[in-house]
Amino acid sequence: MSRAEATRVQDHIGDPVSPAPPVPRAQLEEIFRDIQSDLRYDHELNGCLNCGICTATCPAAHYYDFSPREIVQLLWTENLEGIYDAMQEKIWACAQCYTCAARCPFGNSPGGLVMLMRETAIKHQMESAKNVLRPFGRVMLKLVSTGNQLAPDMITRDHFPDWGPNISKVDAPLKLLRQAIPMPTLNTTATAWEVNLKTSVELYTIWEETGVLAQLEGIDQNLFDVIVDFMDEKREEWNEFLEDQAQGDSDD
Amino acid sequence: MTERFTGHGPEWRDAGLSAGEARIATAWVEQKVDRRSMLTGKERVEDVRDAMWQLEKDGEIVVHRITDQHAPVVVKTLYGWDKRIPTQRLWHHKSCGQCGNIPGYPTSLLWLMNRLGVEYLDETDQTSCTAWNYHGSGIGNLESLAAVFLRNFHQAYVAARAQGLPDGHYYPLVHCGTSFGNYKEVRGYLLHSAKLRERVRQILGKLGRLVDGKLLIPEEVVHYSEWLHVMREPIAGLREIDCGNVRATIHPACHVYKMVPEDAIYDDDILGGNRLAVSTGLMQSLGAQVVDYSTWYDCCGFGFRHIISEREFTRSFAIDRKVRVAVEEARADVMIGHDTGCITTLDKNQWIGKAADKAYEIPIMADCQFAALVCGAHPYKIVQLHWHASPVETLMERLGIDWQRAKAEFVAYLDEVKAGRQENLYDPRRRLTSGPGFIPIAVRQ
Repeated sequence: MSRAEATRVQDHIGDPVSPAPPVPRAQLEEIFRDIQSDLRYDHELNGCLNCGICTATCPAAHYYDFSPREIVQLLWTENLEGIYDAMQEKIWACAQCYTCAARCPFGNSPGGLVMLMRETAIKHQMESAKNVLRPFGRVMLKLVSTGNQLAPDMITRDHFPDWGPNISKVDAPLKLLRQAIPMPTLNTTATAWEVNLKTSVELYTIWEETGVLAQLEGIDQNLFDVIVDFMDEKREEWNEFLEDQAQGDSDD
Repeated sequence: MTERFTGHGPEWRDAGLSAGEARIATAWVEQKVDRRSMLTGKERVEDVRDAMWQLEKDGEIVVHRITDQHAPVVVKTLYGWDKRIPTQRLWHHKSCGQCGNIPGYPTSLLWLMNRLGVEYLDETDQTSCTAWNYHGSGIGNLESLAAVFLRNFHQAYVAARAQGLPDGHYYPLVHCGTSFGNYKEVRGYLLHSAKLRERVRQILGKLGRLVDGKLLIPEEVVHYSEWLHVMREPIAGLREIDCGNVRATIHPACHVYKMVPEDAIYDDDILGGNRLAVSTGLMQSLGAQVVDYSTWYDCCGFGFRHIISEREFTRSFAIDRKVRVAVEEARADVMIGHDTGCITTLDKNQWIGKAADKAYEIPIMADCQFAALVCGAHPYKIVQLHWHASPVETLMERLGIDWQRAKAEFVAYLDEVKAGRQENLYDPRRRLTSGPGFIPIAVRQ
């Protein structure tokens, strides 16, 4: 079969009549096992009659080669090659609105299943996940290091030129405009709200204990290194505070 | 121009139905959709609160209860189940997108609470739910979401200690729709999986975030729009501006009512019980005209990942399926939402429409912002409308608000702020409950 005639599946898992090695069966099985072993799997997938109401109502299906019905069918029929193929691009089209889940007569959650596949794509450090998440780095850095997904200083005309000139309709420095917000927790520019130091340190423990840092390391080593440095600094700051407190107590 | 649906693969062909045939073919679907298609299979849906009470009885968890001190109001959810909404002593669980991008959203809510004499705490010891990132990137997992959820809610439970008050004094009120959906979903998994509970219990133990060695689970996860809903009549009592000439469309947020549908509030007196009751009920109580529209069910196009890195989808969907319909079909003066991502998406993605000859414009704001506005809040100092890219000025003109004068007042007020004389909705010292800068209540007095 000539290259020009190859289908998407063949692009990703190899041509069955070509001498080139396909993705090993064992790897496909391992990927499927990882998806299936999540405790949410049985809750999100109960059966499928191919009615397609999920796809009919899916916003991503309007604009992408994506169908939640197809995702459910691939998993339901344990089509390992198709699952692998869908993880190369299609699963990243889903808008995570869960309209499909609210509509499915079987109580499936195609959007929820997509999340299990995304997590697995990250676990297996798939190139698709790396590519898709590259522009997400700034947001992840902010979230993992501060506990806030979005900060006022991220909303600039440079970053969002398509949002037009009215990012703020009052021409004044960001810091001043933030000070003019009558909620004292919001007088910040680098985080959405002022985050207690203790809170950040607790969050770091959660990231470590739940394997989130390991996920990040597998996807973006540079980002991981920056985040770890940031966490070390904050922890040091917290320990200094605790030492000062202890010193204060002993002085009393 | 005819809309093309390209998501069904290359084999897709137009059925070529006549207009009449197409009407017949879709009538059934519309009927089902309009009559709450989510009622399908309701007998199979379990109320997870039953599992929660049983686990508490078995001594496995502690439930953070809504008690009389929280002055709860009972509402009905999708299947007619009761849900108790606390109205007093509330712990504000903020939204990163609202605080970072639409600050008038939380300030309007707090302003309304001040007007109604509601006791609350807005403090720094909280993180985002982290679900925006999770749904966008896949970084995170069920355990991390559960640990973040329980850590934040534990803080809500113990926060009053900083004021010398007992645990459980404040009850958490969730501002973000995604946090609301995510927390409820995660709570369900926690209640069903002993393995997940044990794993998260170990993590929370390390953080000192257990109660008597047990996980603390909230009796209800409550969204701010639910508080507005049960307080809509007292809020309407504060109204200073007649909004009877305002045609309002409502954008119900997916994560508020599709993610855990059985927990969403419906009321037979509000659009016949065919739509989510929150926001619509408030707007009707305030006297605005709520106008239905054909794409009410569609999402906004936010997409979590798309709003950041694939905005062609976001803006196309927002313009084609929401903004254009609200303008052309509903002839609306405003679109009201009750979630962070939706307000951002719909507000910020209008200007770019000009590039594709889709110059549709409509003011976008949250329900609490509209309520504060018609109750006399300052459009810029409190409602912070200068952060909105959409033409909110046209709505203010319709309401008879002199926005140019208000804006000039705000610009003059910035000099006061520069001099350190800003006005706050509460004593800034209350924002700290521990850590650097915190002054214990005894010393404070």
